Amino acid sequence: MKILVCIKEVYDSPETLVFDESAGRVTFGPHTVFRMNRYDEYALEEALRIRERLSSAVVDAISVGSPRVSRIIRRALEMGANHGIHVQTPGETCLSAFERAHLIASAARGRGYDLVLAGVMAEDDMESQVGPLLAAVLEYGCATGVIFEEISADGSRVAVEREVEGGSRECLTLALPCVLTIQSGINTPRYPALSHVLRARSSELECIEASGLAAPPPTQGLVRILPPAQGRQGEVIEGAAVEKADKLIRILREHSLLPR
Amino acid sequence: MNGRFFIIALHEGGRVREETWRLVSFARRCGVADPVMMVLSDEGAIEQLADELAHRTGLDVAGLAGSHLREYSAEAYIRTLVPFFRDAPEEAHIVTAHTSRGIDFAPQLSAGIDACCITAVEDVGQGTFIRSVHHGRFRAEVRADRPRVVLTVLPEAFAPDDVAPGNPGKVRIVPAGDISLSTCSRGARAPVHANMGLTRAEVIVSAGRGLGSGENIRLVTMLSSLFPKSALGATRAVCDQGWLDYSHQIGSTGNTVSPRLYLACGISGAIQHLAGMRDSGMIVAVNTDPCAAIFRVAHYGIVEDLTTFIPLLVDRYLRGE
Repeated sequence: MKILVCIKEVYDSPETLVFDESAGRVTFGPHTVFRMNRYDEYALEEALRIRERLSSAVVDAISVGSPRVSRIIRRALEMGANHGIHVQTPGETCLSAFERAHLIASAARGRGYDLVLAGVMAEDDMESQVGPLLAAVLEYGCATGVIFEEISADGSRVAVEREVEGGSRECLTLALPCVLTIQSGINTPRYPALSHVLRARSSELECIEASGLAAPPPTQGLVRILPPAQGRQGEVIEGAAVEKADKLIRILREHSLLPR
Repeated sequence: MNGRFFIIALHEGGRVREETWRLVSFARRCGVADPVMMVLSDEGAIEQLADELAHRTGLDVAGLAGSHLREYSAEAYIRTLVPFFRDAPEEAHIVTAHTSRGIDFAPQLSAGIDACCITAVEDVGQGTFIRSVHHGRFRAEVRADRPRVVLTVLPEAFAPDDVAPGNPGKVRIVPAGDISLSTCSRGARAPVHANMGLTRAEVIVSAGRGLGSGENIRLVTMLSSLFPKSALGATRAVCDQGWLDYSHQIGSTGNTVSPRLYLACGISGAIQHLAGMRDSGMIVAVNTDPCAAIFRVAHYGIVEDLTTFIPLLVDRYLRGE
């Protein structure tokens, strides 16, 4: 069984982003650090657990982005992936889910993947689209928000449970090959074992130039980044910490929320 | 908006889901008075669903019926909708709700009809669509570069359309053939982690990742103990970390609550969490990050570090300040 896991690099903390309102742009700041999208960590962990259950499985990890992205692909190898594929774009790029899905599909086509896993969404764009779009391009089946999976003994089907509103689950069985987008909490992602860290250090990543891959013209364009909507005009409680505490206690008492 | 405007209704157990009425408000926000309502189901249920849509909205309804649509699956929806829209006029907006089902089929539908797909839309610009990005700290204004556009719309961003029209719309039932699917639906399972204590509580003290560590859960427990009829809540991230079990989870895939007081501790305010608590009577947020999205739904906001502020707050209260 060949498994592909799609991983994305995201910033660790949105507080380090720099917003230029007049230009309508957000850029990374000097203190921005990067890591693997948390939802993709769950997808990778699930792939590794499938490999542990099925003796002959192989797990590849793929990511699209600047040369810096190679760090999270190496991290995937440290966690235990067999092989890393880097679809490299020149410099910092802001790609839509559509463009990412087509680049991954171009790189994955012909490699005979039985199962493709991705996180249910990326923490930064929250589009939830790369997995299902990739499935459509590869003409694979797809289930999103997967919180449980079990591959049949003959490797031809997978039973999944999708998490839906209120925590209910939809149960379905898909034929392989298929794409599953993985919901957080399906497992507990592992810390890299030292032996894998050492092996990853000497592993070569497969690097593919994005410009050499076929992809249709983008379906959408970012016009600009806007400040958040106004929202509720709540009151910010100011002062020293003690004053804030006392004021909050007073407010809660006035509303009979705290006993006097 | 140019071209036709289609709303794909969501339904469950033979009834139209409430998000659907919000999509009608979204159409009006786009300046569209006469969207076409669409619903997909099997022959046994389609007429009742289509009639409910036609009576409630006064809009024309196209009901696509086939035995493969008895239970929901993305494959059943896509293989029904793709041929339908391939034959429809090219310029079209196809709208559904940003729910676990909407987001399950919308991107694949867009790929099948060479459409642009924009998800979690919460507002409309000048021919553009607006959605939150970067943990709700900013919004992106997005332009579609295809004549066909598939949108998933955040239900909570639009009020349900409550116009009671005089005349029901026209209903047209279209047989969608009987498609043999490779996906097999095996029904639904009830929530594993429903928590009656949370839905009954008058005060919920809720923990987010900003708490920093599982050890600090004792701080929210301590704070919660000040309030009679209180319960502990948590974001999904806190439950994923194992700091609290999933029965405490509040948000779109967890419990939905509306207590008199919701005290959000170290919660950034992701849309999935807000969906489960935004109707609370009073929302108080404590967070170190003054730009956190939670402050835009809060009635009162305090920028402080929880590890020092909660002990201080408890101490001041117990001293009778």
